[in-house]
Amino acid sequence: MTDVILATEGVSKQFGKFIALNNISVAFERGKLAAIIGPNGAGKSTYFNILSGAYPPTGGRLLYRGRDVTGLPQHRFAHIGIAKSFQITNIFPKLSAFENVRVAVQARHRRYDLWTARESLTEVNDRARELLTMVGLDRMDDRAAEDAAHGEQRALEIAMALASEPDLLLLDEPTAGMSPEETQVMMRLIVKLSETRTVILVEHKMKLVMGICERIVVLHHGELLADGTPAEVRSNTDVKRVYLGQEKS
Amino acid sequence: MSGPGATILGFGARHRVGAAALFLAVFPWLMPYEALAVNILVLGLYAVGFNLLFGYTGLLSFGHSAFLGAGAYGCGIALVHFQIPWFGAIVIGVALATAIAVVMGYLAIRTRGIYFAMVTLALSQCVYYAFYQAVGLTGGENGLRGINLSEIGVLTLKVDFLNPTVKYYLILAFVVFALWLLSRILASPFGAVLEAIRENESRARACGYNVERTKLLAFVLSGAFCGLAGTLSALHLSIVPIETLHYTTSGQAVMMALLGGMGTFFGPFVGAAAYLLLGDVFTVLTSHWQLVLGIVFVSFVLFFPKGIWGSLLVWAGRR
Amino acid sequence: MSGLTIDLLLLQIVTGVALGSVYVLLAIGLSLIFGMLTVVNFAHGAFYMVGAYCGVFFYGLTGNFWVSLILVPLGVGTIGLAVERFLVRPLYGRNIDDPLLLTFGLSYIFIETIRILFGLNGIPFSTPPVLSGTVDIGIGFFPLYRLFLIGAMGFLVIALWLFIEKTKFGLIVRAGARDPEIVRVLGVDVSRVWLAIFGLGTGIAGLSGILAAPLQAVTPEMGIPALAEAFVVTVVGGMGSLVGSIVAGLLVGIVVSLTSLVAPEMAKVSIFALMALVLLVRPQGLFGRAGLMG
Repeated sequence: MTDVILATEGVSKQFGKFIALNNISVAFERGKLAAIIGPNGAGKSTYFNILSGAYPPTGGRLLYRGRDVTGLPQHRFAHIGIAKSFQITNIFPKLSAFENVRVAVQARHRRYDLWTARESLTEVNDRARELLTMVGLDRMDDRAAEDAAHGEQRALEIAMALASEPDLLLLDEPTAGMSPEETQVMMRLIVKLSETRTVILVEHKMKLVMGICERIVVLHHGELLADGTPAEVRSNTDVKRVYLGQEKS
Repeated sequence: MSGPGATILGFGARHRVGAAALFLAVFPWLMPYEALAVNILVLGLYAVGFNLLFGYTGLLSFGHSAFLGAGAYGCGIALVHFQIPWFGAIVIGVALATAIAVVMGYLAIRTRGIYFAMVTLALSQCVYYAFYQAVGLTGGENGLRGINLSEIGVLTLKVDFLNPTVKYYLILAFVVFALWLLSRILASPFGAVLEAIRENESRARACGYNVERTKLLAFVLSGAFCGLAGTLSALHLSIVPIETLHYTTSGQAVMMALLGGMGTFFGPFVGAAAYLLLGDVFTVLTSHWQLVLGIVFVSFVLFFPKGIWGSLLVWAGRR
Repeated sequence: MSGLTIDLLLLQIVTGVALGSVYVLLAIGLSLIFGMLTVVNFAHGAFYMVGAYCGVFFYGLTGNFWVSLILVPLGVGTIGLAVERFLVRPLYGRNIDDPLLLTFGLSYIFIETIRILFGLNGIPFSTPPVLSGTVDIGIGFFPLYRLFLIGAMGFLVIALWLFIEKTKFGLIVRAGARDPEIVRVLGVDVSRVWLAIFGLGTGIAGLSGILAAPLQAVTPEMGIPALAEAFVVTVVGGMGSLVGSIVAGLLVGIVVSLTSLVAPEMAKVSIFALMALVLLVRPQGLFGRAGLMG
């Protein structure tokens, strides 16, 4: 019996008259590195936003560990063990990299503490430094995070997502805007992270995910086109037709 | 940048409340007359309370006159109509300001961000009309008069409040206490959340912070500090003019914060001093000082958005 | 409440519509500027006040109310164009609150300048002779000037609607209101659109000022309660929605009018109670879109 960590049942999303997603039912297994792929406009971002709680679906249900979390407010997702990174880098621009992660770590237990001096919270501060090291940012100085290189900012996002000790990590196009070298570093990090928790990616570069993921979900025009292992997806005729000309061996 | 300037600023930053207390203790001797020094203290606290919400949390409120006024009227009414001793009157004033802040904050934070300034302005206008109409308690158009403190009991001593020096140092004690509380709040985990919300609200939410609840708490704290400033103002002036609740008083807070430097600890005080000194100088020269104020403010928005103190800090390499 | 008949009630509602007509025009200007430029114009009340004073000036100069009605929005709109071009435009791309702060400071300059030019006390503006007197509208006698106000508002709303729905420029306004990026992508010079809209919005504010002048004292401070009222209407109707401005403006006018009949001392505060109610039940406004401008 496979252990399902996150599932959508018949999820649809409509914006006015525009149907972005139609009846998407997928069950993501715990511990398996999965990717949601599809051409631009397929509805990947919309699906990601629903999975990560940015907004509720118009129809259908979202289930986390068997529990119905449809419509749960965004800020509660971090508390139940789901963390995400954003497609467009979404950090605290004028705070330092360390402070970015520290604030994220602090959110677990110290949201309304008005009295303790933050410098004295050694547990929080040490954990923040640990996370920065984990994503390779241990040498970042006190500069504003917005001044860091693009790849460093993306890594910072991941460190912040990890701060809530999530069981499930959702990453929206983690390699967006990165150079080939930075992309390699990021993919290695993702694989390492997937050893200790479930990671689900959104990507539009099919080549990147085919090699490392155990499960691929393909979306197209808001519909579920294919769902299975990389081998199954690669040999799927519908997928081949859609990606004709885009796929490189 | 190294050198004595940076060292002093560094020391000041780490022990900012002590530094402020020290400076403010000798402040009266720098001012041409003592009433101005007290005005700067009181308005400085008002600006500091406002800055908690604006500079640190990033919420621009145009309704803070409601808290200054509620504190002033609460304190004054308690003293004049109910003969409550001065310390209790201060507590009542702060409590009234806090209560109004809870209601106002709850309504204002429900709206989308860009409405916030408008809703706070409208709600404080409502408070203005309400107090204006309650002539029996507030004196209406003429303001609340008769808040005459002379000999008061402070802990176990009896002091003469009418003595300008005594009055200054007593009010200073309250202001320093408030600054100390504020400093702790800003240095706490909660203070970090405020700045995170200012920087990127959706990110803060994704981290797990209940942004609306945090904003409300910041709003209420801000209202409480401004309420305290109001009580001190009432005791200092012996009256509460109805203009305290007027929209222009809310605008005053905005101006002082911008002139001094938002999001800095000392900035609002510098802004209050600049505002009052500028006013003092120009009302001697012309009866149209509001025009000068408007031009100065617009210039700051365009060219010196960091304010006097904020620009100074940047120049000294600390921000 | 003896003597409260249906006729009296209806008359009071019509008075509310007349009062609301000014609110509608104020809110439309504010909404236009916000919808396209994402700027909350804190000087909107000041532009309204300047419009009233320009009305005093032009009416005094020409003796012709109709000519003044045309000159005032042109004059005030021109001031608005200059403000956008030289004061607001440098702030785009900076903090989203900066234009708000700037227009707030600008209102001080406007108010004091008017005080210098026209004095501290108010100036009476008598109803133009051709529009004074009362008319029997079936349920009672009603001031002609207020009927004119309602008519003027209706005329302007229809003209604006035609402009936005039927012209090429209006198409840009509609597209831009939904997504400013689209306008840029279409290759339109966005800065010229913004300039024009700011001029249009402030011009309408000025026009409301001269229209409102016969109803109240023309004072340098008249724009302050007007600003608060315009904000209430905007919050109730929904920012960026023209339909919302119209419905909310009339609603607020009627609420004020009916409250002053039943409980006069609550009249001024009643609009804030309405706003609070809307905030509790539907925070984005009656016609606002949820999720607009987080």
